[in-house]
Amino acid sequence: MRILLVEDDPDLSRQLKLALADAGYAVDHAADGEEAHYLGEAEPYDAVILDLGLPKIDGVSVLERWRRENIATPVLILTARDNWSQKVAGFDAGADDYLTKPFHTEELLARLRALLRRSAGHATPNLSCGGLRLDPRSARASVNGEPLRLTSLEYRLLHYMIMHQGRVISRTELVEHLYDQDFDRDSNTIEVFIGRVRKKIGPDRIETVRGLGYRLTPLEGEATE
Amino acid sequence: MIRLRLPALGRRSLVGRLVLLAAGWSVIVLIVTGVALTAFFQQAALRRFDRGLVDVSQDLNAGMSVEDGKVVAPPLTDSQALRVYSGRYWQLAEHAPGGKIRPLDGNRSRSLFDMDLKMPDEVVAEVAANPGQQVFYHSTGPLDQPLRASAMQVTLSQRAEPVIIMVAEDRSPVDREARRFALLTAGALIALGVGILSAVFLQVRIGLQPLFRLRREVAEVRQGKAERIVGEYPSELEPLAVELNALVAHNQDVVERQRTHVGNLAHALKTPLSVMLTEAQQQPGQLADVVSRQAEAMRGHVEHHLRRARAAARSQTHGERTPVEPVIDELAVTLERIFQDKGVEIDWRCPEDLCFRGEKQDLMEIAGNVIENAGKWCRSRVRVTASPSGPETLALVVEDDGPGLPADRREDALKRGARLDETAPGSGLGLAIVDELARAYGGALALGDSSMGGLRVEIGLPRAET
Repeated sequence: MRILLVEDDPDLSRQLKLALADAGYAVDHAADGEEAHYLGEAEPYDAVILDLGLPKIDGVSVLERWRRENIATPVLILTARDNWSQKVAGFDAGADDYLTKPFHTEELLARLRALLRRSAGHATPNLSCGGLRLDPRSARASVNGEPLRLTSLEYRLLHYMIMHQGRVISRTELVEHLYDQDFDRDSNTIEVFIGRVRKKIGPDRIETVRGLGYRLTPLEGEATE
Repeated sequence: MIRLRLPALGRRSLVGRLVLLAAGWSVIVLIVTGVALTAFFQQAALRRFDRGLVDVSQDLNAGMSVEDGKVVAPPLTDSQALRVYSGRYWQLAEHAPGGKIRPLDGNRSRSLFDMDLKMPDEVVAEVAANPGQQVFYHSTGPLDQPLRASAMQVTLSQRAEPVIIMVAEDRSPVDREARRFALLTAGALIALGVGILSAVFLQVRIGLQPLFRLRREVAEVRQGKAERIVGEYPSELEPLAVELNALVAHNQDVVERQRTHVGNLAHALKTPLSVMLTEAQQQPGQLADVVSRQAEAMRGHVEHHLRRARAAARSQTHGERTPVEPVIDELAVTLERIFQDKGVEIDWRCPEDLCFRGEKQDLMEIAGNVIENAGKWCRSRVRVTASPSGPETLALVVEDDGPGLPADRREDALKRGARLDETAPGSGLGLAIVDELARAYGGALALGDSSMGGLRVEIGLPRAET
């Protein structure tokens, strides 16, 4: 397993390199954002450990660039900033996990193992409906290449609809696939979720069929792969 | 420059000051006006009165003759002069030695009966000095009537000694009239004064209205209900409002800078702490143990004070509003990612138009920590519900399907640094900091049982009007 470690503090870099090497990883090190961006682009790493406070280009920008270039390498963010707004920004930029300093090396290694395990799942084909695309492996979705921010319930709803695209799906059917138990099965739950998902993927992809349910279709002029 | 010092007014209200000054000035002007008017009226009345005396005097002068060396007065038809002590009198007299006068017998009005009209010595001298001129004076007559009298010295062709014509009339009607006029004037002026004072008072109250408005606005800024002073003010107050806004901005700036400093310091310490912790772990020994323990303690302090600094800055918030829905959405997505190994599912409901009155960062800290806490303890499900709970409040309810928390241990959960279960990840600070933040916003945090089986955390927060 080949890991890219991006950290500008020399002591911490040395320690982490040692610990990662001890755990059996091959480690490359970058001390600034520019170098990190270049290495991440050029080399096929299995995971990246990315510090956010970096010289030249900050970590979030590096991550955003990678994701724009469709580099999907799992990224674990390492930072001293532990505000929720900063965590959200990190995940929005495309991070897969987040660890705040100071931390124990064991915890970093455990998180890294989990990250690698998740990304090692069997490659499943992406699902798509016009410009809407779902990646079941990472449970992420995008519209015309723009990543979407979906909660797991919203993702599940969309996943079910994309599996049955073109067909009218009743509310009862949707609610049964959304919840495994009998929780929250009131009638407007589905309306709430459809409304929220429409706001995120665009209003016209989900059609309301009166009295019957909902139907997911590609937009006019969009080709279904 | 002479400074007018009004010590008694120094600390009284502006309204009092202005009204008192106006009142003092008005009272002086009104009193002077009253006195002047009354005096003028009295003089005018007397002048009119005197003309009557002069007429009688002229009649006497014209009709007087000398027969056998004796002066004979003409018969006057004025009936009043015939009635005894009627109040209208005349008499002829001549100079006597020693500056006195001597009445000429038989030449007096019937009304005098056998009394004489009096004349003070200085009037006698004046009459002698101004022959042919009327000299007016006050005197008293029979029955102690107040008299207005006139005297004139004339010289008759057949008589060597000059004759003094004295005419007098009771002046009490004039006095009465003057008194009535004075009373009437005083009444009118007092009414005018009261009117002026009320007008001044109203004018000052209304005139100073912008000042009271400014005071209210400043209070709202201090209470965090408004961000800055926005009202429009007259040109005299506008600079003050501008200065106040600058002061508020400066204040916010200072607070923001302090916050940044504290944050920077705390964050700068975190990397070295990480290094120390790691180094100590890699080279076990007594020294490593001490370093480890102390580094952990430092980490605790850093985190605590960092959060305290953030919470302390909360009370300074100025009327910001944050839509709740996007914040919960962002947090739900992020937290599901954080707990993805566990497969936590966050089901949230929030009206689109619900707004929190405060900073977005703070709402994120509050909701983020509570939902994270729920994520740690749940089996797989977390439910988040935000809804209005009153005209100015909203309730954020976070429930999980975990083991819950027995009632007797709930209070401990809010204490700083309390760790209820060492095996659950995290510092255990989550709920305590949420409580602190909610309090800074005048809200509260309540723990209870959820229908899902786990803990139910309800946080009351201020709501902004939509």
